[in-house]
Amino acid sequence: MDLPAQVWMQAIVNGFALGWLYVLMALGLTLILSIMGILQLAHGEVYMIGAYVTYYCCVSFGVNLYASMFISMAVMAGFGLFLERFLFRPVRAQILAPIVISLGLTLILMSTAVVGFGLYERSIPRLAQGSFVFLGSAVPKDRIIAVGFAVGLLLLLYLFLKKSKYGQAMVASAQSWEGAILRGISPNMMSSMAMAIGCALAAAGGTLAGSILMLTPSMGTLPLVKGLVIIVLGGMGSFLGAAVGGVFLGLVDGIIPVAFSPGLTSLAPLVVVILILLARPQGLFGHE
Amino acid sequence: MSRKLLINLVIIVVLAAVLIILPIALNNVYWTSILVIMGVNILLVSSLRTIKLVGHISLGHVGFSLIGAYGSALLVMKLGLSFWAAIFLGGLMAAVVALALAYPFLKVKGIYFALLTLLTAETFRLIVWYWPSLTGGFWGLLKIPSPNPIPIPLIGTINFANINNYYYLTAFIVSLSLFVLYRLERSHLGFKWIAIQDTEVLAQSVGINVKWHKMLNFAIACFFAGIAGALYAHYQHSLSPDATSRFGVLMSIYLVVYMVVGGESKFAGPIIGTVVLTVISEFGRALGEYQPMMIGAIAVFVMLLMPEGLIGLPNRGKLLYRKLLNQTQRMRRS
Repeated sequence: MDLPAQVWMQAIVNGFALGWLYVLMALGLTLILSIMGILQLAHGEVYMIGAYVTYYCCVSFGVNLYASMFISMAVMAGFGLFLERFLFRPVRAQILAPIVISLGLTLILMSTAVVGFGLYERSIPRLAQGSFVFLGSAVPKDRIIAVGFAVGLLLLLYLFLKKSKYGQAMVASAQSWEGAILRGISPNMMSSMAMAIGCALAAAGGTLAGSILMLTPSMGTLPLVKGLVIIVLGGMGSFLGAAVGGVFLGLVDGIIPVAFSPGLTSLAPLVVVILILLARPQGLFGHE
Repeated sequence: MSRKLLINLVIIVVLAAVLIILPIALNNVYWTSILVIMGVNILLVSSLRTIKLVGHISLGHVGFSLIGAYGSALLVMKLGLSFWAAIFLGGLMAAVVALALAYPFLKVKGIYFALLTLLTAETFRLIVWYWPSLTGGFWGLLKIPSPNPIPIPLIGTINFANINNYYYLTAFIVSLSLFVLYRLERSHLGFKWIAIQDTEVLAQSVGINVKWHKMLNFAIACFFAGIAGALYAHYQHSLSPDATSRFGVLMSIYLVVYMVVGGESKFAGPIIGTVVLTVISEFGRALGEYQPMMIGAIAVFVMLLMPEGLIGLPNRGKLLYRKLLNQTQRMRRS
């Protein structure tokens, strides 16, 4: 391949930024899956609505972009609490019902977005203008800021789960639901927290995506699928796995279309997942 | 026993009569085309329920119907096979792919299966999208021929470009497939599947090869998904891998919703669910963009308020009736 270094650099940086968006998605999904035992298939729609909340805060009401992002995270956390309390808690112990409810929710939220926000594409303002030079190539600043945000959120979540009392309670609840009850940890409260944190992360991811890419009512589907793949790749409940899996998928998305053909990009996740499943069914960093 | 047999026979005859008369009575191309699509969907949802028999949920059924659709269409268009061979081979292709994928997929348990099938369907769709030399890519595959006309003595040649004839063809193939699925469920194999759903460990301990049966189950279900896809392809004459087409994630969601709204515990559930929701969405067409919202709300409400679906309603009514009866009796006594 005789592409200039600039193109390669661009592909790598784009892939890296995309990858961290996927990581944010996967973290929320894996948190909800390991604590509530629910596959939240409407998470992509939470991500999309979060992006629109930021858009309206920022563009229509003129709030500062970063402040809008935190508002959006708070709003979606509240939305997550609502969903958990009224939709997911009543069907907690079942297998099919939560999936169907999350699918129904997908339809509802997506058509709400189509009706409320319209089908045409919009964009949140860029996180930062301009670029800086790295290894002789220009790197756009907004990509780097997006990655910084995602890494920061991952570290915050890690610290929360490892160091704080509530975080430890969540880990305990994920490890053994019944054991946690015996120690006086309320599963309902843990579920609420998982859902709130998961939705806030999705809102952050959606905002970053809306700033780098575009806002459309169907923007959530692709990251959802990627997030699910990351959970399988990295192993459920593994932070390192989510980060490695996410960055890997992002780089695949960034580099392969440039180097080979876009068709290969779509095939790669399935092939990698199958190979991982054959070699290590519990995921790269997961444990049974 | 004989009385029950008679009742069943009457029901079948009545259903067959309704199926035959329906397009003539409607006498409307639009509604007949809805019926054809509904038939295709019924086959998809019923075969989705077959996977549920071993306790798995597939969110990638549309992916296998895509293999059947494109497979059958391309066999007819590029290799010049007849429709009758192509539809079967299309189903077979879907089944073979399903069998190969089920082996790695079943290494992880429970909910992961749903997630992996979702990924599979999206991957298939994108492969078609990015392979224009074979599949027409995002322009879609156009000019798929109708099934070859078949000459029948005394009646004459049946031409399937006519929508009523295609409807009869669909009704026949779907009924036949449903019959096979029903017999399978009531066979020794079906009992094993249900045993696996109830308790996997126990099933294994009495000598059922759980993994093989799950693979077989998945392959059989996907075979019928392929058949449904092929039926759709030759009816529609064009296929598109667009995200909003029949092969996108949304369609997978609709299929699961159809299944559970009807009730997945009984064989008739998916059929009832598909018919009811198709009719509701047809009459709700005026709602435009609000239509998916309505279907989603129905799904959520059904799950929260009547988890057994529409098929559980008579039972519920009976219980309610008995309760009321008891109460009135008690009131009379006191």
